[in-house]
This record gives sequence, structure tokens and C-alpha cells, in this order.
Amino acid sequence: MVTLDVRPQLLDTLSALRDRVAAARFPLPLAGAPRARANRDELLAQLDNYLVPRLREPDAPLLAVVGGSTGAGKSTLVNSLVGRRVSEAGVLRPTTRTPVLVCHPEDHHWFSGMRVLPDLTRVWVPNRDPGDDLLLPGENPGRVLRVETADSLPRGLALLDAPDIDSLIVDNRVLAAELMCAADVWVMVTTAARYADAVPWHLLRTAKEYKAALVTVLDRVPHQVVSEVARQYGALLTKAGLGDLPRFTVPELPESAWGGGLLPATAVAPLRAWLVHQAQDPGARTHILARTAHGVLDSLKARMPELAGAAAAQHAAALRLTSAVDSAYDSEHARVRSRLQSGAVLAGDALKRWRAYPLDCAAGELLDALVESLAALLLCAVTAADERVDDAWRREPASAAPGLSGRDPSLESAEHRIGLAVRRWRRELEEYAEDEVRELDRSVAPDSESVAALVATALLGGRRTKEAGERLAERVGAHGALRLRDRAGRLLTEHVDRVVHTERERRLAPLDALDVHPEPQAELIAALSVLQKER
Amino acid sequence: MTAVTDHDHTDHMERLDHTGEYAGDYTSGFDSGLTAADSAPDAVPEPAHAPVHAPAPGAAPDSAGDAAQGRDGTEGEPPADLAHPAAETENVPHARVREQREPADGDPATAEDAWDDGLIARRVTETSKPAVPVLETRGPGAPAPVPLAYDGPLRSRLDALRELVGLSRTRLDSHTLAEAGRVLDEAAARRRLSGQHTVVAIAGATGSGKSQLFNALAGVAISETGVRRPTTAAPIACTWSDGGAALVDRLGIPGRLRRRPVHNPEADAQLRGLVLIDLPDHDSAAVQHREHVDRILKLVDAVIWVVDPEKYADAVLHERYLRPMAGHAEVMFVILNQTDRLPGDAADLVLHDLRRLLDDDGVALGEFGEPGATVLALSALTGDGVGELREMLGQFVAERGAAARRIAADVDAAADRLRPVYATGRRAGLSEEARDEFAARLADAVGATAAGEAAERAWLRNANRACGTPWLRLWRWHQKRADAPTGRLQRPQPEEEATARQRVEQAVRTVSDRASAGLPAPWAQAVREAAVRGSQGLSEALDELAAQAGLPPGRPPRPGWWPVAVFAQAAMTLLQVVGGLWLVGQIAGFMAPNLGIPVLLMIAGIVGGPLVEWGCRMAARGPARRYGLEAERRLREAAAGCGRARVLDPVAAELLRYREVREQYGRVTRAGAGVG
Repeated sequence: MVTLDVRPQLLDTLSALRDRVAAARFPLPLAGAPRARANRDELLAQLDNYLVPRLREPDAPLLAVVGGSTGAGKSTLVNSLVGRRVSEAGVLRPTTRTPVLVCHPEDHHWFSGMRVLPDLTRVWVPNRDPGDDLLLPGENPGRVLRVETADSLPRGLALLDAPDIDSLIVDNRVLAAELMCAADVWVMVTTAARYADAVPWHLLRTAKEYKAALVTVLDRVPHQVVSEVARQYGALLTKAGLGDLPRFTVPELPESAWGGGLLPATAVAPLRAWLVHQAQDPGARTHILARTAHGVLDSLKARMPELAGAAAAQHAAALRLTSAVDSAYDSEHARVRSRLQSGAVLAGDALKRWRAYPLDCAAGELLDALVESLAALLLCAVTAADERVDDAWRREPASAAPGLSGRDPSLESAEHRIGLAVRRWRRELEEYAEDEVRELDRSVAPDSESVAALVATALLGGRRTKEAGERLAERVGAHGALRLRDRAGRLLTEHVDRVVHTERERRLAPLDALDVHPEPQAELIAALSVLQKER
Repeated sequence: MTAVTDHDHTDHMERLDHTGEYAGDYTSGFDSGLTAADSAPDAVPEPAHAPVHAPAPGAAPDSAGDAAQGRDGTEGEPPADLAHPAAETENVPHARVREQREPADGDPATAEDAWDDGLIARRVTETSKPAVPVLETRGPGAPAPVPLAYDGPLRSRLDALRELVGLSRTRLDSHTLAEAGRVLDEAAARRRLSGQHTVVAIAGATGSGKSQLFNALAGVAISETGVRRPTTAAPIACTWSDGGAALVDRLGIPGRLRRRPVHNPEADAQLRGLVLIDLPDHDSAAVQHREHVDRILKLVDAVIWVVDPEKYADAVLHERYLRPMAGHAEVMFVILNQTDRLPGDAADLVLHDLRRLLDDDGVALGEFGEPGATVLALSALTGDGVGELREMLGQFVAERGAAARRIAADVDAAADRLRPVYATGRRAGLSEEARDEFAARLADAVGATAAGEAAERAWLRNANRACGTPWLRLWRWHQKRADAPTGRLQRPQPEEEATARQRVEQAVRTVSDRASAGLPAPWAQAVREAAVRGSQGLSEALDELAAQAGLPPGRPPRPGWWPVAVFAQAAMTLLQVVGGLWLVGQIAGFMAPNLGIPVLLMIAGIVGGPLVEWGCRMAARGPARRYGLEAERRLREAAAGCGRARVLDPVAAELLRYREVREQYGRVTRAGAGVG
């Protein structure tokens, strides 16, 4: 027989593991991401709501969660087990929108605190009229847990009436899943009309997979066919490998239907007796607790690697996105460099100005045209890179993450930023030229602006403008020309690199903001292996 | 954890079931079905092959046994198909809550599967097989059924859809168009078949009483009912009048699952033309049941959804079926069965709640004479309300409009699904500003402004030189000799890459972005591609063009006053010379001393020369400006023309194609209503 001995180290590693799980993020919309997110939430719910509190306080009352399809009669069943109306039942579906927890008054302290289900607001109305509106105003009915006390329940047992597992209301379904996670005993309610439905079978399979303590109730069976339906259901269970499951049949009685009345105690007596036995017999209790807890611990072995795999997939996708950006910007950067080398800037307006210089064109105008042309080259490279990134990202499902797409609004500002950078380069270039001219210390020192224009032309015109270099040498001397050119060239490279780098960072910023790292994968696996060792 | 509908499970099980024993049974049933389809559309087999199958209650259990093949095991043994998913538990990953979050995601995939089924069914019907008798009464002289005729608007919408699909083939992938293609195929297939009949399927969850209702309508226990879940495993057809066999063939229902209702002249007359199909459930763990349902629901003319007080709010019913089929409300009945299980006025409450849920699903309710789904409460067990349904059904069938309405709703749904690839709700197109901006960017790329200014200044310089005083010219000449050669001298060397490539590229990118803004993605892509294709070689063409159209041809124009100015300048110089000579003559004593006139002459010449030059410069400004503008304009227009021919025209053609398709799409949606 398995027992539930808990060492503090195990609890520590478990809460470490819980933190790791809570820290795992799956922001990129990959194929497996929604599933991984659901897995994460589910695992977290199970750890927070069940495993950690249970291991920490093995003496807490046994919590049996009653779950099942809509209209299966869960509320009626809970009411009948308790012996009075604690949960509303009715003909309109879905009936139970607020989960209701019923326990013995002396057990109340276990559930009034945030020991289990910490993210549900507690509502406790000790003596209320049955007809009262149960909800406090302004509260989300989905995130509220109503705690009821009833003397008729034995100590050490609590019942939880969960919303439908297949509710039309999505929040209800999620909540139902969360509540099932908190259970020591899963009470799966199905009916004569539903026992072959796909949905409850999924629930059964899940319970089996987690090795949770499970009991099924076949509810609302018409008198005439009780034996046949029960046999059929039993056969299905056996087929599914659940033949040894405790099974209870509750007939459909006029009281059970639609009135919200209570079933006679005899109808639910076997179920009640079973539950009470589990709660009060120490052996059975330990067994059932250990079974469910170990089931969850065992299931971690499969679930943690799955989460880790999803985290790795996220990181891989982020890497792919990043490398797409990098390669696009790298290749555009290389293109810009080669075009600068070949003198592509000296084209169009700039070329016309240069041809007219100095007879029909002032040095300032030439410099203006060159600077503008350089800005156009850079802007073209940046937008081309962005376009390539878009193309590459279109093939990546991960790029659909909010905030990653949509470069259009930034285009204007890219133009602005590039304009700023290029103008700054021009200003620094002019300063260099002034320095150089000042050093010449000649009576007929050349105009510093024309020197700057010649340097820029020589630099940006590539092979085409050897002549500009010659003229520059004439004005400031061969040595000065060379020095000036070198300095200006370095300055240009620096500025171009900076522009491309800034734009690339800007493009990557939203991706970086998503914070996808390789660490979670390793951390999850590490947490799991530490836990395995501690067990 | 709750596992609601897990897709992975489903997929896995589907595969499994296809290979399972059940599949064999299913296909064999199919064979006999297609035989019947063979004889379509003249669907009248030889009388000798058509043994009369008496539609008597006695026959029912027999055939019901047929229907329940595959679960012929011992009592208490669950159906094999149910066991599969359960046995698979070990292999499949955890059941997940995932489906809850995005139920819509899972649906198309399964719908795809079902559609493949339908396709296979239709393919198979085309192959020929030896005829097998069909268990259906059919008089030897039964008239060939009158094919269905669609009314004008629907026909034109179908034509428009066909054309739309044809026009879009090159731009959209076949996956996107598959649904539209299916609707067209189904419409064509349905059209060939009887218009006198209305195929109505009874669908619902397991245990809701579909078969019970089916039997109640037929007046005979045709379909097996029972507490064993799920009960009905294969669809069963019941035909109220002759000639509907081809319709049933289309559904792939084998001959042994076809029945006739109990003979009752009154009921027969009322429901004449009705073909009723009892479907398996859609929500049990037996996956192939759902496949049957999904396949047949696409083919029938109308659907009766049977719900019961316990299951009427099931997520699977609403999310998987009612919401996607909300557009089919006009051919939909929603029946709340088993009202006998509800006490007192609870039935009204539940019915009201059901209406509310349907309303939330977007299903239009046929209240107050408006078109929409019919919602009824009845009890098939007690027969309470069945008469009313029968009456409504009779009226519905007598109208004979269900098939066309169903197809119309299908077209609506297909059009709706295609909306994102055809309509964005934004105005698309190439505005005049975008064109102008493109031309301006190209002009920038070839340097039109700079060229114009250079031409203007050069002309002005020449004018000044021509009209300047000779002394100034002399000085300039001297100056030039001392100075280094200037930029003008390098002109003859041929220029490669005179056009700024980066500006051209940017211009094309901007214009294609502008043009494709507001277009659905595939069409935007097409526009961009057209622009990029057109821009290849554009820079080279602009280079060539700049070389040719750089300056106005011939010598720069000379205004009429130019010779006068030159003459005046010459005259001034002459005056100076004459005055000077005169003075020199006086000094030398050749002439009578008269200081006044020669000094005046000289002063006039010295002052007049610059004055004339200044006047000329002022006067030359206008022509120079014109000359420069002309040069600029020529370059600008040449560049714009080149850009228009190479880029804008292909882009406009692409946009036109889109607009055509868009209009076609408008025709597909009802009268283009509500299309942005």
C-alpha cells in the first residue's frame, strides 16, 4: 500500500518546480503554443490547487469534486448527498454557474482561507434564504467559490459542485477543468442519455491517465431500463480498462427531475456511504490520497518534458525570426557597402550637380545633393531589409504574434532617423574640412565648404570621381587630402553601420520584448530531475 | 482535467476506424448505394429487379439489425467502435482543454475530412457496378422525376461564383477555393436530381430521440430505438413518394437502409415529396457516426435538429453545428423532444431558453412570419406535438423551395468564408497623388531638378558672356587660362549609372505599397509582383533616357533681342574706342581741341557697356528660367512616361483585375449587400 510520507525537501523542490512552470511563457503563436499554454495553466492549477496544499497538509478534508456534462444532475446529486438545497438545480442549462463547496462547519476553516483554489474569491453566506441572489454585485460569477456548511456531511469530507465540463460558456469549462484539478476524488456524473457521449469519456480517460481516484455515477436512469443501461455502461468501462471503477447508479425519480428537489436518501446512500468511508476510514483515506497525489507526481514525468519541448520550440522559432532579421539586414548592409564603393550615391541629382560644379553649382548644393542621395540609399536599404524580413516572416507562424508585424507606421520615422544620421555626418565632415583648412595657414586658404564637398564627392563617387580627389589634393595638399579622405571615410562607415544597426535593433525590439529564452527548457527539465531524486 | 473535445484523439481515432472492421461494413453498404446512383438520373431500375419491399412493421427489426451491424456481439459487449477510443487511451497524449479555447479551429479540419468523404462518395458513383435490386417500391410506370430548377437570382449567383473561382485560380491557392468549388459541385449535382422532393435529415445528440421522431413521422418503427447508446449507427432513409431514389443515392445510403412509411393516404398526401433521413448521433464517442453526420449534412436540403431537455445546451451541438450553420436557419427545424420528461410549464421555460441560445448562436428564428428556423416542442413518445410538426413539414415540403434555399445559404457561407481574400472594407486603388509622387520620385532619380538648374545657369552664363563687355570677356579668358579645367570639360565621357538606383527602387516600392494598401493579401502580393517585374530594367531605361533627353535638342534658343543687345554692346565698345581715339587725336594734335564730345562719348561707352550687360542679364533671366524649366520638364516627362509604361500600367492592370473579381464577388454575395 502506498503511503503519503512527505519530506520537506520534496515540498521545496515541488515549489521550485511550480515556480519554473509559472515562469514558462509561450508568447509565439506556434502550432503547439495554445496547447502548451493550456498545459501550463492546467499543471499550475493542479500544483497550486491540489498537490502542494495536499502534501503540505495531509490532514485537510478529502475534497470530492462532482463533475460532468450539462444536465447530468450534478447539483441535484450534491443536494441529495448533503440533504438540503445548497446548490441550485433547474431545467435551464447551464444551471450551476458558480461552483459550490459544501463541508462540515468544523472543516470550514480549511476552505475559507486560500489554501486551495487561491484564485477564486470566497463567498460565504452561513444562513441564507434559498431564494436570495447568491452573487454579490459586481463580481464575476465565474471566479467565485461559494462555501456552504452542512452538519449532515461528516467531518473530513467536502463536496464541490463544479460547472459543466462541456458548457457553452467557455469560462465555465475552464473553471470546471481547474476545479477537477483540485480534487482528491473525482466524481464523474453521467446519465442514461449521455453515457456514450464523447466528452465524459475524455474526462474518464484523463482521470485514468492521472491515476486520480475516480468514481462514476450513472445518473437519471429511468426505472425500466436500470439494469440494461448499467450493464451497457459497465461493459463500456471494462472495454476502456476502467472495469474496476466504483460505479453507482441513481435512478431517475420524479423528485430528481427539474424541480430542484432532493432525491430520497436511499437513492444516493451507496455513494454517500462510499464517500464517507473514504473520508473516515484512515486506511482508505491514506490510500486514496496517496493514489491521487502520486498520480499527479507521476504524470509530471510526461508533462514536464512536454512543456520543456514547447519552450524549446518557442526558442527555436524566436531564433528563426531573429536570424531572418539578421540575414536580411546583413545582406542589405553588404549591398549598401558595395554600392557605396561603386559610387552609386553619385547619381541622379548629385551627379548632375557634380557635372555642373563649380561653374553652375555651388559647393553647398553639391553637398546637399550628395547627402540626400546617401540618405535615399540608406532608406532604400532599410526598407528593402524590412521587406525581406516580412517575406521571411510570412512563412513563419510565429510571426503572427501581436506587435511583431506592421512595420508601416515606423517607415516615416526611419526616414527621419536616417536623415538625422546623415546630416550629422555632413556636419562632422564640414568640421573636419574646416580643421584641415585652418591648418593650411595659407594666405589664400580654400573655402572649407568646397573642400568638404570635394571630400564627399571623392568618397561617395567611387572610381568616377578621381578628379575630385585630384582637385582636393590641389587645394589642401596630397597629404592633407589623403588624411581628410581617410577620416571622412571612417566617419561614413561608422555612421552607416550605426544606422543599419539601429534599424535592425528597432526591428528586433518587439521580438526581444517577448522575452523568449532557451533557459526555461533546461530549467523545467532540471526541476523535474531534482524532484525525481527527492521522491 | 476536463477533456472536452480533443482533436488529437479524434484524428487518431478516425484513422483507426477507417482501418477497423467497421470500415469494411461501411463500404460494402456503400457499394449497393452506388449501384442505385448508377441508374441516375433516369433512376428507374428494371421492374424485374425491384422486388416490392412491403413497408410493414415486421420488416423493420430485420433491417434495423442490418443497420446495427458491427455490434452484433454478445449482449453487454460494447460496440467495437466505442471501444477503439477507449483502448487508445495509453497511446494518445493527455486529453486537453485546448479545444475549448478554439473550437472553431478544430472544425474546419474535420469538415475537410467529411468533405473528402463526400467527394469519394461522388467519385464512386461515377464508376459502374452491376445493378443490385433496391429495396424500394417503385411502380414500373413511375414518371422520371422533374429536375430541380433554381430561380433567376440564385442561378446568376452560382454563375458568378463559378466565374469568380475561375478568375481567382491563378491568385489563390486551391485550398482557399475548395469550399466554393464544393458548393458549386453540390449545387450542380442537386440540380440534376428531383425538384419534387425535399431531403430532410433528422440530426441530434445521442439519446435525444431522433429515431423516435423518425418513426413517429413515418408511422412505423423503421429505425431502432433503445437505451443502448449510441443506437443508430448508419443513416436510414424513408421516402414518401416515388422518384427520390437518386437523391438517396447521392447520400450514399445503401438500398437495405431505405424504407417506405406505412401506407396512410392522408399522411402520404401531406408529406408527399419528403425524403426523411435518420442520422446517427454527432456527439458520441463513436467517431464514424460524426463523419456520417458531417457528410450527409452537407448534402441534404433541410435539417431537423432534435434536442432534449438534458442536452439542449451542449457545447458540441452549438459550437460545432448550429453556429457554423446559422446561415441555414431557413432550412432548419429545431425540435425540443421529450417534453414528457418535463413537469408542468418547465417545457415552456426550456423552449424559451433554447430560443435564447439559438439567438446567441446567430440562428434567425422563424417567428412572426419572418424567415428563419422553426422551433417546436414535442414529445415523440406521447405523440404530443408531432402532428404540428407533420403539418409544418408538409407545408415546407409542398413549397419545394428548400433545396434552392439551402444552396443559397451554402453560397452565402462560401462567400462569407472567401470575404477576407476578396474584400477588406477599405478603398483600394492607385490615387492620382500616388502616381504623381511616383513620377516625382523618378524625376529625382534621374536628377531632373538639378539638370534643369544646371541648364538654366549654363544658359544664363552664356548669355552673360555673349552680352558682356569685351573687356570683361578678356579678363575671364585670362582667368580661365590660369585656372584649372572645370567639371564641364569631363562631359564627353559616357556615364554609367546616371540614374540613382536606390531612388528608383524606393519609388517602385512606395508606389506598389500605396497601390496594394487596402487589398486582400493575395491580390496585394500580385500587385507588388507586377510592380517589381515592371521595375526590372527601369533604371537602365532611365539612364538611356537621361542621356537622350537631358537637354533640349539643337543649340540653346536665342531670343530676338539678342543681336540687338550684342549690337548695342558693340556700339558701346565702339563709342569707347571712338571717344578714346578722338581724345588721343586731340592730344596728338591731329584734331581741334574739343574735350566735351569725346569725353562724353567715352563716358557713355564706359557707363553704357555695363548698363547694357546688366540690362541683358535682367532680360536673360526669363528665357534662362524657361530654358531650364524646359530641360527639367523634358527629363521629368520622359522619366514619368517610362515609369508609367513599365510600372504603373501593369500595376493598374492588376488592380483592374482585382476590381473585376471584386465585382464578381459582389454579385455572389446577395446583390452585393453589405460588402465593404
